[in-house]
Amino acid sequence: MWREIRDREAGKTRPNSFTNRIKSNRIADLQLSNCKDIVSPHRGSINSLQVDLTEGRYLLSGASDASAACFDIQRATDYEGRGLIAKHKCLFAVDKQHESGHKFAISSAIWYPVDTGLFITGSYDHYIKVWDTNTTQAVVNFKMPGKVYRTAMSPLATSHMLIAAGTEDVQVRLCDIASGAFAHTLSGHRDGVMTVEWSTSSEFVLITGGCDGAIRFWDIRRAGCFRVLDQSRSQLGRRPPILACSATNKVSISKALSVGQNLPSKPRVHQKKPAAGNGIKQSPLGRTPAKGPLRQRLHPGMLSSQDRATAHYGAVTGLKITEDGMYLLSAGSDSRMRLWDVESGCNTLVNFETVRLQTSKAIQLATTQDSSLVFVPCMTAVKAFDVWSGMTSMTFRGHYEYVNCCWFNSQDQEIYTGGNDRQILVWSPSRLIANEMDTGPAEDQDNWSD
Amino acid sequence: METVGGLGQGKVRALIEKATNSTEAEVEPRLLKAIKSVVRYSDSELRLAAQTLMDLMKRDHSQVRYLTLLIIDQLFMRSKLFRTLLVENLDQLLSLSVGFRRNLPLPAPPAVASVLRSKAIEFLEKWNDSFGIHYRQIRLGFDYLKNTLRFQFPNIQANAAQERREREMRSKEILQSKFEILKGNLSSIKEEIQSTLDEIGECLEIVRTEQETMPPGPLDDEDFVEFRPSELRQIRLDSLREGEKIHENSENKVVFDALRELYKLLVTKHLVSVQEWISVLIRVEVPDNRSRDSVLKEFIDIQNRLQSVKKKCVESGYALPDTTKREKDEEEDFWEEGKIESIKLESSNALNKLNENFAVASTSGQTKNDSPESSKGKAKCDQSQSCKGADSSSLRSKLLAEGPVVKWGNFLNNWDSNRVVLANQRGLELESHWGRVDYNAVIPAEKIAELNIRATIYEEEQVEIQPCHAPLHKGGLCQRRDLRVCPFHGPVIPRDDEGNPINKSTSTSDTTLDSDLIEQLAKQAVKNVRNRENEEANKRKLDKQSQKRAKLAKIREHNEAVLRDAALASTSNSVFAGENVKATTGGRLARNKKKSLASMLHKKESTKDRLAQRLLNTRARDATIRLLTLGEDANYREAFPNQW
Repeated sequence: MWREIRDREAGKTRPNSFTNRIKSNRIADLQLSNCKDIVSPHRGSINSLQVDLTEGRYLLSGASDASAACFDIQRATDYEGRGLIAKHKCLFAVDKQHESGHKFAISSAIWYPVDTGLFITGSYDHYIKVWDTNTTQAVVNFKMPGKVYRTAMSPLATSHMLIAAGTEDVQVRLCDIASGAFAHTLSGHRDGVMTVEWSTSSEFVLITGGCDGAIRFWDIRRAGCFRVLDQSRSQLGRRPPILACSATNKVSISKALSVGQNLPSKPRVHQKKPAAGNGIKQSPLGRTPAKGPLRQRLHPGMLSSQDRATAHYGAVTGLKITEDGMYLLSAGSDSRMRLWDVESGCNTLVNFETVRLQTSKAIQLATTQDSSLVFVPCMTAVKAFDVWSGMTSMTFRGHYEYVNCCWFNSQDQEIYTGGNDRQILVWSPSRLIANEMDTGPAEDQDNWSD
Repeated sequence: METVGGLGQGKVRALIEKATNSTEAEVEPRLLKAIKSVVRYSDSELRLAAQTLMDLMKRDHSQVRYLTLLIIDQLFMRSKLFRTLLVENLDQLLSLSVGFRRNLPLPAPPAVASVLRSKAIEFLEKWNDSFGIHYRQIRLGFDYLKNTLRFQFPNIQANAAQERREREMRSKEILQSKFEILKGNLSSIKEEIQSTLDEIGECLEIVRTEQETMPPGPLDDEDFVEFRPSELRQIRLDSLREGEKIHENSENKVVFDALRELYKLLVTKHLVSVQEWISVLIRVEVPDNRSRDSVLKEFIDIQNRLQSVKKKCVESGYALPDTTKREKDEEEDFWEEGKIESIKLESSNALNKLNENFAVASTSGQTKNDSPESSKGKAKCDQSQSCKGADSSSLRSKLLAEGPVVKWGNFLNNWDSNRVVLANQRGLELESHWGRVDYNAVIPAEKIAELNIRATIYEEEQVEIQPCHAPLHKGGLCQRRDLRVCPFHGPVIPRDDEGNPINKSTSTSDTTLDSDLIEQLAKQAVKNVRNRENEEANKRKLDKQSQKRAKLAKIREHNEAVLRDAALASTSNSVFAGENVKATTGGRLARNKKKSLASMLHKKESTKDRLAQRLLNTRARDATIRLLTLGEDANYREAFPNQW
């Protein structure tokens, strides 16, 4: 540790690599935090957790007793055990008693990505509500056709303010906060939609996973989905060429994605000269020559062999796109995790050592910033898998019932997990410098009397 | 862990396995001690122990789990490393010991399983109390079991607090009641003390007057001894002062005795009780503080007065602790340890009587003049008492006249009171206790009564031992006093003045009896003896037979009982495994199998059992079917009341 700091001081290491190294060291020794307690006001299982994206300070939780609560995770409200244990009580909570509160379980509670002035809750009572944080009043109300399973807002959107909502209904709806109405209705799934996720590389790309086992990619600027992931189409491991240089990496991604986005023109090209020599750039898409034209002809929702492809046997319960937007992780009720190459739409055949996953509920996955680890709620524990090898690197045991959600706070390198036992647990790196408070009350030491 | 292995590696595993392989309700203390000592000095052994213990917790046998849990608790309370190791899998440990997961119930012997569960819950509470602050996992587990699963925790700490509060309440009540009592008989207490003080004062007065009548010793010759060394002068002065003091002699002995007795009463009773009252007054909480304060002031005054009187007594040297006196008495008594009591005894008797009188007087103020040899001082005392006693009510004096006169003793203080007494509030502030002092400790009334049982010293009746009085050769009578047999003249018998025995029938006359008669008598005697012997032999024979019969009957009975037990045990499923095994193996099988873990799990099922089960099942099924059909019928009738 000190040597690294000296190296950094001497300019031997780059600032970026230095921080990365320290961060990864900290992540490697995450453990249940003794000195940070989140006092859960919920009387039901925690379904959703999110730390705001602007300050990284406020944790929002949604629970099945129709309550949502907000915590300040950086400043404790009070201390216990002579300052040893910091208690974080909720700053505010909205529950059934609230005049415009939800009636049934809140399945998803997310922050408005731009600031912490708004947050959005989706509930089993068929409503999505947008709340003003400061007055804790519901400002917009969306009536959905069924239970809301998951809501999502694009973290990079600049041109739209759409809430994507996965519900019991087969259609995915996009709710516009600006107008208070549904902007889009995306149909394609044959069963309820368990999970929705916006792409982290393009503000117009939405990914949805349904109970029918399909993962669909939508470009919200055009009708129909442009890709259905098929578990039988696979490639081995990561694509090598893109990692040539980190600087060009981003460009290539954006280019690759722009390829995807400019599909309306491309498929036509494909159609006209099928099996013609594609450019190197188009090579991932070129592997599916039949897909473009077929979808072009088909009206969304019509039958086709591609359209029937499934990503999991059973329902897709969790989706998480990596920070760079190149890979997609999915969890299914078949207790499998899959890593998809977004660019090619192929299953990368990474075998994650999940033993069992919860099947009845949507689960919330989390990845680290450099997408080296993925945190997955596996029944009563949370496991951290290496994204590229699928090996278990850590297991977090602490909950006494099923864990539903987890969130990685990349700023403090902490994870927050919520489960059916109504607890929100904080897992943080162990402190390097032993706190002097540790020698406080009733010292924890060996006590051999004989 | 195996790679770390040294020479002694794995010892702890064997020890733990041996310790848990038992059917006892406790881990064998020697093994436990061995485990602890092994684990204490080696971290790798401790890790191995944690591993082994967790493995053993997974064993499909509640007894093993129970013993393992006991060992875990022992190590958990001691080693930090063990705690950190164990806490990582606390949810697993809890599910294995509490069995709160429905798909993982506790294994077989149900009796042990319930004990295991309650013990695990108790331990968890204990751990949470002592280490919860350092381990989030323990807090989580405790919280989960308590608030989510609503397990009942024994709640030891809160109970202790509750108990303490109750105890405090009780002691407060006691103090309150004591205060009430004190308020009730404040005047009588004061009177009593006052009377004692007065008596002491009078006694002192008497002594002093005697002193004045005594010829004054050589007075101060300081004029011409000034040149002497100061030490010598001091000695001389001391001796002079000593000479001024009055010494006990036969004349004023009675006064001194009285004084001594009064002093004793003062020190052992009044002073102590006053101190106790003061402490009560200090501690008690009453609504009106003024009255309490005034009473307290009075008591402090009394205490001071008592102290001063005591000091005076000690100074004047009259009331030297009478232990020396008693020792002297004992010394004097020493040579006449036998049964003969001399005048000495009489005098001491008289003393006792005197004491009695004083005791009674001091408590009641009654006059009782039963010691004729009372001296002047005594008379004076009596007078003072009598004038006080005059104003007490007549009924009381009558009752007192009737009542038995008892020697004064400590037991009279607590006569007929069933109050509890605070053990550590005796008015003495002992600061140098080692350890904590429980100020609310209470001695129950029965114990007080037990402690204050009236003690009496056994006093022998005075027996006048008769002299032998046998006529001596040289004339005169033998003057030896022996109890029964005189070594020279045989048994001591009553004799007349000349020494002849008064009763003639026994020894001297039978020599004159007829020899025939003697023979006859002898024959008769022999016959009688023979007859008796025969009879006895017969009886013995009969006895033996009946005994044999009884024995047989007993054996039969026992066998029957055992068989019955066995039958019961083997049929009833409710009997838990432990007793069950014992009964069946002891009853049906002659050989006594050793109890083992496997046998605890084993449950014998006989044909009878199976039959019973089947019968029960079919019967139950029939009953339910009947009930159901009945219900359906009723429903049908209700739904369609017109149709039948």
